[in-house]
Amino acid sequence: MKPFPNAIFLAALLASGVAAAADVVDERLAAYKARGAGGFSAAAGKALWNKSFPDPKGGEPQSCASCHTSNLSEPGKHVETGKVIEPMKPAVNPKRLTDAKRIEKWFLRNCKRILGRECTAQEKGDFLVFVRN
Amino acid sequence: MLTRSKSADGGKVVVWDLPTRLFHWLLAGMFAVAWFTHEDDRYLDVHVFAGYVFFGLLLFRMLWGFVGGYYARFREFGYRWTNARDYLRATLRGPSRRYLGHNPAGSWVVFLMLGLGLAISFTGMFVLGAEERHGPFAGAFSFAHATLFHLLHEASAVGLLVVVAFHLTGVAYESWRHRENLAGAMVTGRKRGPGVDAVIFRGVGALLLAGVAVSAIVQFAGHVRATPEKPYLPFTGPTLPDSALWRAECGSCHLAFHPTLLPLRSWEALLAGQRDHFGDDLALDAATLAGLRDFYTPNAAESALTEAAWKTDRSIPPGETPLRITETEYWKRKHRDISQRTWERDPVRTKANCAACHLDAEQGTFEDAAMRPPGPQTDQSRPKTR
Repeated sequence: MKPFPNAIFLAALLASGVAAAADVVDERLAAYKARGAGGFSAAAGKALWNKSFPDPKGGEPQSCASCHTSNLSEPGKHVETGKVIEPMKPAVNPKRLTDAKRIEKWFLRNCKRILGRECTAQEKGDFLVFVRN
Repeated sequence: MLTRSKSADGGKVVVWDLPTRLFHWLLAGMFAVAWFTHEDDRYLDVHVFAGYVFFGLLLFRMLWGFVGGYYARFREFGYRWTNARDYLRATLRGPSRRYLGHNPAGSWVVFLMLGLGLAISFTGMFVLGAEERHGPFAGAFSFAHATLFHLLHEASAVGLLVVVAFHLTGVAYESWRHRENLAGAMVTGRKRGPGVDAVIFRGVGALLLAGVAVSAIVQFAGHVRATPEKPYLPFTGPTLPDSALWRAECGSCHLAFHPTLLPLRSWEALLAGQRDHFGDDLALDAATLAGLRDFYTPNAAESALTEAAWKTDRSIPPGETPLRITETEYWKRKHRDISQRTWERDPVRTKANCAACHLDAEQGTFEDAAMRPPGPQTDQSRPKTR
C-alpha cells in the first residue's frame, strides 16, 4: 500500500465532489434564470444569510447563521435540538450541493422556517453562489 | 485424609479448610458488592459480575459439601430440624454442648443461606434475561415477566440479609458462650481442640482465588481500555433494525429517534402532520413517506424490541397520541428527578439531546447500563451564552 496513489485518489474524490456540486449548482442557476432571475451575487446571498427574521414561535429572531453559523466552513448546531450540522461549503464537505432535489427540499424547509415564506428564485440563486464560493 | 489431633485440650485443630474460608469471605463480599450496586444502573456490570461470582461460589460450595474438608462436608452437619430446635432451646437456657464444626442450629442457617443464595442467583439471571436480554436466559422470558422476577429477586435478597443477621447474632452469642473467636476461626481456620484436623487443601484454595481473579480481569478489562471519547459499554442492547432513509430524513435536524420510542399511532400522526412538524414544513414526497412508514410500522413501540419500547407503549393511555417522546408517561417518570438546571446547562441544553446522557441513543437501545448522567463537575460550567 503506497500512500501516494491513495492521496491522489482522495484528492480526485474531493475534486469530483466539488465538480459535481458545480454541475448541479449551474443547472439550478439556469433554472432560476429561466424564471426571470439573474445577476446572482454572493454578497447578496451573504447578507440574506446573516439577516435576522422574527421567530413565528415567539422566540429570539433567527437567521440562517443561527444554526449554520456565519462561517460556511465550520459545522453548525441546530438551535432547538443541539444536533450538529455539517459544514455547508462543498470544498470542506463534498456532499453539499450535489443533489438538486435535496437543495430544493432544504430551501423550502428552511426559507419557510426563517423567512416565514418560500424563497424567490433570485434569493435561491444568491444563496447558491454564496455557499459555492 | 484426616488425622487425630496430636495435642490435647488447648491445642489448635484445623477446622475450616482454605477453600471453605475463601468461599465464606468471597460470598459475603460479593453479596455486599451486589447489595451496594443494585440502585444505580451505571454499576449494573459490577452488580451482575458480583452475582455471577456469588452463584459460582454457591455451586462450588455444593460440590465441596461432598468432596471437601471434613467439617465442610454436608454429612458432617446434616442435622435434623428437631436437632436444631433442641440445640437452640438448650443454648438459650445456658451453656450448651460445643461443636467444633457447624452446630445443629448453625447448619440450618447454612442450608437456608445456600437455598436463598440460589434463589437470588436464578431470579437475578431471570431478570437479566427478561429485562436486559442478557445472560443464559436472554430472550427466554417476555418483559411482562421481568416485574415478577424483579420482585422475587429483591425479596430473596432481603431474606438473605435477614438470615445473615441471624448468622451474625449466632456467631456473636456462641463466641461469648464458649469464650472463643468464631469469626477469627473463619480467618485462620483453627479452633481450640480436641478434635480431628481437616486437610487444608491449599491448592484448591489457590485455584478458587485465581478463578475469581481471572474472571474479574476479563470482566473489567474494557474499563481500562476505555477513553472519554469511546466509553466502554459492558451491556450493549440488541441490534435494532436500521434504515438509511430514516437516518437521513429524521436525523438532519435532531437525533434520528428510533421508532421503538413512540407507538404506531404517534408516528402516523407525525407523518400526517409533516407539513407543520413543530413549526417546520418537512415537504416530504410520497415515496419518502412510504419508505418511512415501511420502517416504523414493524418497529414502533408496540414491537417491544427493547425494554424502553415495551415500557413506553404500556405507559401511554389508549386514547392518547403523544407527538413527542417527552410527553409519554414512561419518559416523564424516568426523568422526573432531573433538575431544570441540568436540562438547561451544558452538555444537555435540550430534552431532545438524548445522547448527552444515553451513550446508545444513536442505536436506539437506551440500555440502563449505557446511561451517564452529567456529574456534579459540570455545575461549574460556564453560564448559558445564548
